Amino acid sequence: MDLGLFILSFLPRVRGKMSENILIELKGLTKRYGYGDTESFALKDFDLTIKRGEFIMIMGPSGCGKTTLLNIIGLLDRASRGEYILNGENVASISARRQAKLRAKKIGFVFQNFNLIEDLPIIENVALPLVYTGYTKTARLKNASSALKRFHLEEREYYLPYQLSGGQQQRVAIARAIVGDPEIILADEPTGNLDSRASHSVMEELKAIHEEGNTIIMVTHNPALTVYATRVINMLDGQIDTDIKTVADANLPQPISVKIKKRKKKGDLESLITTDAKKSRKRKKSRRKR
Amino acid sequence: MALLLRTHYRLAKTAIKENRTRSFLTCLGIAIGVASIILILSLMGSISNLIKGEISEIGADLIVVRPASTKDTLTNIVEELTSANSFQKSNLVLDDVKAIKEVDNISAVAPIAISSNTISSEKNTLNSIQVLGTNLDFIKIESFPLRYGAFLTENNEENSVVLGHTLSLALFNTINSTVGKTVTIMGEKFMVVGVLDEIDKSINFDNIDFDNALIMNIATLDKITGSTQIQQINIKAANTDSLEIISKDIENALTNQKLGDKSFSVSYGDMITHPASSLFTIVSGMLATVAAISLVVGGIGVMNIMLVSVAERNHEIGVRKAVGASSRNILMQFLFESLILSLLGGLFGLILGYILAFLLSIVTPFAPYISWEIILITLLTTLVIGIIFGIYPALKAASKNPIDSLKHYR
Repeated sequence: MDLGLFILSFLPRVRGKMSENILIELKGLTKRYGYGDTESFALKDFDLTIKRGEFIMIMGPSGCGKTTLLNIIGLLDRASRGEYILNGENVASISARRQAKLRAKKIGFVFQNFNLIEDLPIIENVALPLVYTGYTKTARLKNASSALKRFHLEEREYYLPYQLSGGQQQRVAIARAIVGDPEIILADEPTGNLDSRASHSVMEELKAIHEEGNTIIMVTHNPALTVYATRVINMLDGQIDTDIKTVADANLPQPISVKIKKRKKKGDLESLITTDAKKSRKRKKSRRKR
Repeated sequence: MALLLRTHYRLAKTAIKENRTRSFLTCLGIAIGVASIILILSLMGSISNLIKGEISEIGADLIVVRPASTKDTLTNIVEELTSANSFQKSNLVLDDVKAIKEVDNISAVAPIAISSNTISSEKNTLNSIQVLGTNLDFIKIESFPLRYGAFLTENNEENSVVLGHTLSLALFNTINSTVGKTVTIMGEKFMVVGVLDEIDKSINFDNIDFDNALIMNIATLDKITGSTQIQQINIKAANTDSLEIISKDIENALTNQKLGDKSFSVSYGDMITHPASSLFTIVSGMLATVAAISLVVGGIGVMNIMLVSVAERNHEIGVRKAVGASSRNILMQFLFESLILSLLGGLFGLILGYILAFLLSIVTPFAPYISWEIILITLLTTLVIGIIFGIYPALKAASKNPIDSLKHYR
């Protein structure tokens, strides 16, 4: 495939849409597991455009590809086919190392089973993303402390995760997700392991975060929670079944400043093309090795 | 970057502390290997110091002529160790000694010929005793103190011998009344005129255990054994400034005397100890190799424990990757852990090794030999061990898929 042409074909369009405040753009995203007889698709030609400030709830039966979608958006997984454009940049052309950096700085994960590190006190669990973004230890603990304060856990900073209740653990996990001031929060059934009261408080926290202008993408099984969302997507067999927006685009909360800056300016389009082409070639090679 | 390294260091410290027993046992594996290497190196250093010390005791005016070996050192040494008659290979003869005496600025020349003979007294008969043939200059060069009697003199040198301290005990069961008694060598009777004081230094540049040797006139030794070659010629220079010139002169004189045959070596200063030192170098090199194997075993222990640690912390790796750790971050985290483990082991080993060396110095004459080179080499070695045996587990950790790792919930 002619890589240069391929990249050229999407670059101008990406620039054009930046003004429309598009954060994530998925085009024909496909994730295949297995080959031949065992072949199955978690995602099949999945198209989705997510704007800044949306609070998206993704619902659907088990195995319809919700979690896979979240993992791909969160840069933990790669699509087998299709494009993922994050903030105007094709993810396929971002090195693994910079993807990790993006995960640390721009993306916050909240999991169903909290995924806290059992051996670390919760303050260090919360500070974890900051370890990889170059904060000093004092700055890390300070930030983590204020994040915990926000969730009313300031008196439990040096507890170990197992000493907290499920709701508290999930609030710690949310504190960890927002401590680095990310733009995107990805929540995979954050209330799945919680009772309704704890669920409610967790959802209130997420709502507050959303109102500050963060984009939240959340997977859930609980239809009652969709009241918090600005957009509800129902998935079926790796594709979008229904997609309902409850809030007009114009009314979405917006961050005070656009946090993600474009890496390259329009001026050096040529160099961008060549380096991108090089990078994707390199990546292809490494993927083949795998 | 420096910040991240410090974080990795902290993480490793915590991880090691949390698994104290496990970490200690792993360190012990490295420590034992390092300790044995330290012990051997310390021994070797102290032995070569002993030899050097002896040279400086004798004085800086010593020049030594030895027959040059045609074979390489190792073969030579092995033969020396295995065959009693290996001393009979020299091509230096008494005429050479005479030739050296002609050279300027020399105050004493003593040939040393060694043969192994059976010696009997009225009480005992001993086999394979080193009989040392030399001349009267010997005592001028090596000022051995005598316990009883006197060294050979011009008047009695043809039929007298001097006994080593231990040999005297073995032959006559006494040392204080040995002088004046007779010993029999190859059927000839000799009178004991002196007994050396206990020297207690089995390592010297002559390669002779003087406590167990018998000293007699070289001409007499030549007569009774038939053919005696000279193992070594010790020369005392008149002044210490021009050793190089004097040794050149000796070399020329000897080459003339031997009609161009250059199968001998003239050495002075540190070069004298070389043959003796090289034996220890080879032996301790072999020992160090054996010790290095135990270090490798220790390294495998580190690798083993790191693999366990990686498996145990699968979930943690997944979480760290999800919140933004790159593969390199994870790699460094685990590499640091193995590095610190093996460095700690190295430090333990260093201390343990020197404690052992010190304990050894109580029962042997070898004082612990501490040098920064040994310490540096040891620590570098453990560093390398840490990297070599830590890289595979660290790579394994770094290559984990975060999605799979997150499913491994403990």
